[in-house]
Amino acid sequence: MAISVDTPEVSGKLAAKAGYTFPILSDPNTETIRGYDLLHKGAGPDGSDISRPAEFLVDSSGVVRWENFTEDIRIRARADQMLAAARELR
Amino acid sequence: MPEIIERRGNWAPWLAFLLVLIAIGLNAAFFLRVPGQRVIPGLSLLLAFAALACGMLGIKRAFGQPQAYGGKISSSIFGILALLACGLLIFGWFQARSLPASARAPHVGEKAPDFILTDTEGRKVSLTQLLGHGDSSGASSTTTGGAAPKAVLLIFYRGYW
Repeated sequence: MAISVDTPEVSGKLAAKAGYTFPILSDPNTETIRGYDLLHKGAGPDGSDISRPAEFLVDSSGVVRWENFTEDIRIRARADQMLAAARELR
Repeated sequence: MPEIIERRGNWAPWLAFLLVLIAIGLNAAFFLRVPGQRVIPGLSLLLAFAALACGMLGIKRAFGQPQAYGGKISSSIFGILALLACGLLIFGWFQARSLPASARAPHVGEKAPDFILTDTEGRKVSLTQLLGHGDSSGASSTTTGGAAPKAVLLIFYRGYW
């Protein structure tokens, strides 16, 4: 599940271009992003507010079981790290 | 009879320029998804500082001992270009790391706040639904393929621009 401030139209373009099959959710008014305290003020195009990168693995009871907050926007959680975290849950 | 001075090549600004080009090239490697990306920012910063030192040495030589180091013009152009690029790289390092503290973000062992957001098909999707505790709206079954998942991975990202 990917979440950003992008509109469904922009996210749809991204999914089509990159071939993503997982759902991409839109939070244009940053309500959820603020709820998770991830708002990065003025960091988007033309000084708009966006989400900072962060990844959470939430188990079926709604509890966070793994998290990743990067210190550098150029470094994100890798797919193998996230898959390893998901396997740990079993 | 003019004094004969042994002319030496001023390699420092050229090396500075080369190091800066490599450092910039390393940053471009982020878009290629090469393995070992975690070391790129540090390596790039290291190269930028090495280039900074070489660039300053080159300019110092070009202006301090122009007879010995074969003129000022090309050395200072490459030296100054290298220094400017170093400045940008070092500024970029701090920019990339200026992230909000996110002190109130949920952490391991804490409940992830519920949300209702719109997917690319315009459907409303809540975390509760995604986790398989959805109501009868049916949105969860279309999104997760029927069976209740063991977990949901939430990836917050900066957006597509």
